[in-house]
Amino acid sequence: MLVIRPVTMADIDALVTLAEHATPRLTNLPANRERLEERIARSLVAFNGDIEFPGNEHYTFVLVDEARGDEVLGTATIRAQAGAQEAYYTYRQETLIHASQQLNVRREVQTLALSHEVSDATLLCAYSLNPRYKGTSAESLLRRARLMFIAQYPERFSRILAVAFPGYLDNRNESPFWESVGHHFFARSFHDINHIAGVRSKSFIAEVMPQFPLYLPLLTPQARAAIGREHPAHEEALQEMLAEGFVRSRHVDIFDAGPIVKAERERLATFNRAAWHPVRLRPQESLPDAEPALIANQALGNFRCIVARYALSATGQLMLSDADAKRLGVEEGRAVLAAPLALPSAVDAFDEGEI
Amino acid sequence: MRIRPIARADVDGLLALAQQAGVGFTSLPNNREFLAGKIEASARAFEERTPVNNRLYFFVLEDEDNGELAGCCAIEGQVGNEVPFYNYRLGTLAHSSVQLDLHRTIDTLFLSSDHTGDAEVCSLFLRPEYRGEANRHLRNGALLSKARWLFIAQFRDRFPEKVLAEMRGVFDENNKSPFWESLGKHFFPMDFSEADRLTGLGQKSFIGELMPRFPIYTTFMAEEARACIGQVHRHTRPALEMLKKEGLRWEGYIDIFDGGPTVEAYIDDVRAVRNSRLYQVEIAADAPEESISRWLAASTQLSSFTAAWVGRAPVHDTIVLNSTEAERLGVTTGDTLRLLET
Repeated sequence: MLVIRPVTMADIDALVTLAEHATPRLTNLPANRERLEERIARSLVAFNGDIEFPGNEHYTFVLVDEARGDEVLGTATIRAQAGAQEAYYTYRQETLIHASQQLNVRREVQTLALSHEVSDATLLCAYSLNPRYKGTSAESLLRRARLMFIAQYPERFSRILAVAFPGYLDNRNESPFWESVGHHFFARSFHDINHIAGVRSKSFIAEVMPQFPLYLPLLTPQARAAIGREHPAHEEALQEMLAEGFVRSRHVDIFDAGPIVKAERERLATFNRAAWHPVRLRPQESLPDAEPALIANQALGNFRCIVARYALSATGQLMLSDADAKRLGVEEGRAVLAAPLALPSAVDAFDEGEI
Repeated sequence: MRIRPIARADVDGLLALAQQAGVGFTSLPNNREFLAGKIEASARAFEERTPVNNRLYFFVLEDEDNGELAGCCAIEGQVGNEVPFYNYRLGTLAHSSVQLDLHRTIDTLFLSSDHTGDAEVCSLFLRPEYRGEANRHLRNGALLSKARWLFIAQFRDRFPEKVLAEMRGVFDENNKSPFWESLGKHFFPMDFSEADRLTGLGQKSFIGELMPRFPIYTTFMAEEARACIGQVHRHTRPALEMLKKEGLRWEGYIDIFDGGPTVEAYIDDVRAVRNSRLYQVEIAADAPEESISRWLAASTQLSSFTAAWVGRAPVHDTIVLNSTEAERLGVTTGDTLRLLET
């Protein structure tokens, strides 16, 4: 009996635990009580505010299991703008062509240049799920409930959405990219800097990063291989987002070179396939068999999203059990947004710059 | 031994020097046609037939006993006018953050053409037979190096404000440049000697086309490559010491291929330029030899410029020469010579 809802202050202990157990630890989900309390307070403001365009809002969601006494099992956040107050720094992969007519040679030289280009995008981040639920539909629910929310309140978000995935760590749990790049400038371990970035801010560290582009040939082979490569624990998440319609961008994380995928909202499967249906209550045992779907109410501050069968009546009503309707906080006749849980097969596309 | 301008007839002699100098001697490639062109350019400069921004003065050290060329040296009036003159400038960037308790400085290499328009002393080579312990008293290397300062002092208005010298960088026991291996190799689809050869031939435009345009953080280079920055080849140390004594200093510019230092000075501050002065010549057939290779003399004519050691110090405004010295320098009583005590 899983349901997504906005975070509340009462969730703070669970949030700290989720932050501590995130694999790997996330910059944007620091295991720091004070920061997480701020995050919750900020989220409450965002959910309950009258907002007409994206700004500095954070919307934090939790996944709870009603069958287990409303235990909080996971969390995920939407940042309305990745870099609203501060710039959101990424490394942008670029290719420079060095050609000499005299020598009749043409060389492509790859560089990484600091960029603020992703700052305006809406960022899906701070995802952490109790490992017991790995491999279940809870993963998709937690990840994609955010899209169901954005679909309902487009004015609160950018047209471009982005997801940053944790970067590759080797079997010593170290980031080869950080060791070849950031470490030269900070003399601190990846985990150290990640923690500081989480507790303080990442852009404040980025401002001390080398400002000139980096030439890839000068980095270690291990570091080069890590560029745009996700942490093994996030392979499936990346695949799901690619199936959604996100495409790999030229941008990678400045610390661990993890991939950043981007998409225009209208390219995403959940948006394209989401539809409004009036609710019709039916007893659980008489619901027809149907494919699972994400189903969300339209109650901003009391947003709920669940996975249930996409069972439509002949007249286009969504048939829900009493229990599911209760979880969504809807009565018969109210409209809910539904989108099939299954996604088209993933296309691993690379954005050439049009987004 | 005397210094004189190179002549068109010296082309084979210069080629022999180039062959002996070998790889790594960028400005003296083993290429007859190229060297002939160089000689022609120099001859025209001495004949005052070239514009101010294109003056190469090429000198040879001549052994009067056998007429052979013992070495050579040159002055480029202004570098970087026809083909770009590139250096890396070693810079420092501070990465600092109070909140992070961080203060680090990072060395960076910036591609620069800052020396465009400066004069360059270059192409100094002395054949091994004229070096070494047996020849130390002749001070041939010093003669080659310092004669140029007398030339510049004498024809000061033909030169710009600053002068530089590029020093050969460090090569390891396998004759590889660690600096090149860690940096240039990634950008040039050729080995060091080929890149160096093309540079020597004056075909430098490929450098600008292939070089990284953004600054290089040296921290990404191999330790042994970073250790080469601004360091000279062990064979070049005496030459560097000599230039340092004249007041040339390393200001952070290095060669883009081997990382060797470019040393520089304001010409008017160069010790030899400041301290040299003119004396009247007096011939005394039996003038005694008082000192060996301490006073350096140079004639004051552009096209027949000659420089050599003289055997004694001047007295008041006069330098007394014996007839051999006078003949060597091409002067007679009543002429003037520029002298420098070394």
